[in-house]
Amino acid sequence: MSDMASTACFVIVSKNDIPIYDAEVGSAPKKEDQAYQHQFILHAALDVVQDLAWATSAMFLKSVDRFNDLVVSVYVTAGHTRFMLLHDSRSEDGIKSFFQEVHELYIKIFLNPLYLPGSRITSSHFNTKVRALARKYL
Amino acid sequence: MMVELLLLIQRRSSIVFRVTFILSVVLRFMRLAYLIGYGVEIEKSPVNSASLSMLSWPKPATWPSIPPDSSAEVMAKEKTILQAKAREKLFDIQRKPLPLEPSSLLREANRRRAFLSVGNLSELYDSVDGSGLGAHSKLSPNKSSSNLMTRTMSGPATSETSLPVDRPMRLSEIHVAAEHALKQTISDPDFMTSLSSPEEFESRYMELTKGAADNYHRSWWKRHGVVLDGEIAAIFFKHGNYDLAAKSYEKVCALYSAEGWEELLADVLPDLAECQKILKDEAGYLASCVKLLSLESSLFSSKERQAFQSEVVRLAHSEMRHPVPLDVSSLITFAGNPAPPLELCDGDPGTLSVAVWSGFPDDITLESLSLRLSAFSSADEGLKAIRSTDARVLVPGRNIITFDIPPQKPGSYVLGALTGQIGKLSFRSHGFSQDGPVDTDEFMSFEKPTRPVLKVRKPRALVDITPAVSSALLMNELQWIGLIVKPIDYSLKGGILHIDAGAELKIEESQMIEIESYRSDGEHSSPIDASKVLSRPTDTGRVEKVPIENGKIKLPDWASDVTTLVWFPVRAINDTVPKGTSPASPQKHSIVDGMRMIALKLEFGAFHNQIFERTIAVHFTNPFHVSTRVVDKCNDGTLLLQVILHSEVKATLHVKDVSLDLQAGFEHLGKGDGRPTSSLFPLVIAPSSKAGILFVIRLSGTKDLDELEQADSMLHIKYGISGDRATGAHSPVPVKPDDSEELLFKISLKLKRPVLDPCLAVGFLPFSTDCLRVGQLVNMKWRVERLKDLEEASLSDDEILYQVDANPQNWMVAGRKSGHISFSEAQGSRIEIAVTCVPLVSGYVHPPQLGLPDVGDANISCNPAGPHLVCVLPPTLSTSYCIPA
Repeated sequence: MSDMASTACFVIVSKNDIPIYDAEVGSAPKKEDQAYQHQFILHAALDVVQDLAWATSAMFLKSVDRFNDLVVSVYVTAGHTRFMLLHDSRSEDGIKSFFQEVHELYIKIFLNPLYLPGSRITSSHFNTKVRALARKYL
Repeated sequence: MMVELLLLIQRRSSIVFRVTFILSVVLRFMRLAYLIGYGVEIEKSPVNSASLSMLSWPKPATWPSIPPDSSAEVMAKEKTILQAKAREKLFDIQRKPLPLEPSSLLREANRRRAFLSVGNLSELYDSVDGSGLGAHSKLSPNKSSSNLMTRTMSGPATSETSLPVDRPMRLSEIHVAAEHALKQTISDPDFMTSLSSPEEFESRYMELTKGAADNYHRSWWKRHGVVLDGEIAAIFFKHGNYDLAAKSYEKVCALYSAEGWEELLADVLPDLAECQKILKDEAGYLASCVKLLSLESSLFSSKERQAFQSEVVRLAHSEMRHPVPLDVSSLITFAGNPAPPLELCDGDPGTLSVAVWSGFPDDITLESLSLRLSAFSSADEGLKAIRSTDARVLVPGRNIITFDIPPQKPGSYVLGALTGQIGKLSFRSHGFSQDGPVDTDEFMSFEKPTRPVLKVRKPRALVDITPAVSSALLMNELQWIGLIVKPIDYSLKGGILHIDAGAELKIEESQMIEIESYRSDGEHSSPIDASKVLSRPTDTGRVEKVPIENGKIKLPDWASDVTTLVWFPVRAINDTVPKGTSPASPQKHSIVDGMRMIALKLEFGAFHNQIFERTIAVHFTNPFHVSTRVVDKCNDGTLLLQVILHSEVKATLHVKDVSLDLQAGFEHLGKGDGRPTSSLFPLVIAPSSKAGILFVIRLSGTKDLDELEQADSMLHIKYGISGDRATGAHSPVPVKPDDSEELLFKISLKLKRPVLDPCLAVGFLPFSTDCLRVGQLVNMKWRVERLKDLEEASLSDDEILYQVDANPQNWMVAGRKSGHISFSEAQGSRIEIAVTCVPLVSGYVHPPQLGLPDVGDANISCNPAGPHLVCVLPPTLSTSYCIPA
């Protein structure tokens, strides 16, 4: 069992390149400047993803970019929504399972007729679940 | 050389190879620069931090040592390091500087020092550990220097150092050592020049970065490209090239803003704002400040946000060269009431309260605030701008603002935009938010609010005034007229009713007007319905008396919402004497005679702007309609006159006394006081029914024919009436306290004397022969008989002139054609008149007629009547007329 990632930043980016959800899901306490830097890394990684996403038909793109000892892993859904995770652990299976479970949660959000696609996800239930999944898989 | 190499690579390689190669080139260059102390030139930006993180420090087996006699260089470097300070940001934004290297150079370099042992190396660097330039610039090389580390190295130990063995290298020393080592290894002169001084380094760095950015853009990795543009902007800024810096910063801000990465935008936007401020680009600066304020409040401290706001306010109040409108859609949002929309009637003004949220960190004073409403059906916006009170102060958070709405056209309205003025600048906000817990920040969905906030009804009837009574009221008496005033879903508070009586109608203003609450008939029928009684506890037949002045009645407040009955006294005036009817003079009664018009005007409404006008017609009538009929005519000339009283009102009439003043030519029999034969008073006549009274009269002699023609009899009726004003005619309103209840009604009757009044009878006596022949004499006889005594008859002469009329072509009269006859004055006396005539033509001819020229036709009775035509036979054949040939 891999130990918990101390740093992990998870962002869901919609197909319009606008972040609709972000969370720090690592076990380490949140540091302000680092959180900001994580945003920057993930934003820059979008460029890489936009090329790689069309090179493969798989949803899970594994790691697309690197920063220090942190790795950016990306999962692209069929609707071109990108789940991006910045983490320092190495277990790919765990990350893949995490993405798949979050994908299911995301679909449930979409099924809500009152949810406007492309708007921020503010459901506290979703938030709790994502964090629980992070604790479980990362 | 490097640039040429770059160009070569560009033309020949794939994208991925290109970008990675370029990036690695730039990075290595930067790393080298760091090594020799030019790190201070490099902006501590995320990209540099990130980029450099990918590349660790060079790891020579042995760190080069400081050359001898380099203490001056060391001092110079030391000075540079100490002078380095973080660039001050606008608004005093304090941010922790980012680490640019994964581990301290100091540690790395000293680790590789040949003469230091490894051992408690880690202890030395516990205090130095970690990120932040703050650590290395504050580092005192003397700190915990007691722990010396030695490093077991496999390489040969050098002894060319002049440093004491027990001290790790200072940073400046490290820089100098590295520089010297590099200078010995680098052969390319271009490269050497670029590392020779900070300025050279910077220009080369700029070149490389620009090249990298271009390549990124061409490869469609626009985010990377734009980020490097930011780096270039920082260099421009440092050199005072603010124009170009602003352009580059704008690109970065545009990307972050478009993609909604607010944290990243929060880092770069203050830099852009600073450039704009320096360039005196007021519009841009203002827009940047507003944008900074609209970002998430957690990204900045409250002090910083207050600084943004004060800048905005300062600019707004200053004299801007080109005042620009502000779009504060995310800072000032508004929403209507969660309650149902305000409903107004057409033409009424009202007040609308709107919740306005201010996202400003401090109170902000608005010079004016207006709200635009747009009609729901049409797409027109900005049709109606409603101003609120001036000089409002919005507190952060929720504010409730009331707007006075002027009268609007009918329709449904939704909230449009909020506009106003801050200082000299006008602002506009389209931001519509939900009232209540705001749980979304939908920056990308400015949906138009679809819930109407104001509904103005189409013009509709707000009140109805109808007369309470449709049946006729008494003419010439003071009667109550009732009006049902019914408000239709509208309050009549403060309403004033104007009553304008038309011609021949007078409102008695000395009396008070009675206003009572009105119950329709439906409620009367079920008085035991408890629920209805309970539902209106105050509706207990309340009556109030109000005065009337100049035809104006002020409605009391309790009457605003309930249907009320307004009673006011009027007198219809009709000066003409009514006429009765008889078989000789039939009724020519027109309904218009009794109709009177009343013009009503009700002024009401919340602002007295609603007017209701109506003209009602009220009917007035005489209590009785009288008709006469001669029931019987006796032989002695007595006439029985029946006078029929028709009740015209829906009330019970009590006839107390009747007297008849007969016209000339008639006279009463009996007591002669003009009263009817039998005393049957008081006579009660039920509504709309009739009663008859008999008078015994007879014709009296009179010679004046004119007087006979024009005279009228007058019937006087004393009566009383008991009726309900709610039903119809009723007992007149007593004006003075001693007004009796007895009413007098006069009606004129025209009694016509009989047309025929035969005094003489003229009869034709039969012919003596059966046939009449032409040329044969015939005796025509008439008999005249006196029917009445001379004194009673209207004829005064006892000699009567007679005249025989015959057609001269048909008859020849032999004898007297005219003459006087006289006969006895007594009734029944007769006389015969004989005239001899000869018929001249044969056939059926008119016979001669006897006429009495002086006697009126009405006084002659032809009994038996004379023949109309007689048969005249042709003459007998006579030879005496034959003429021999």
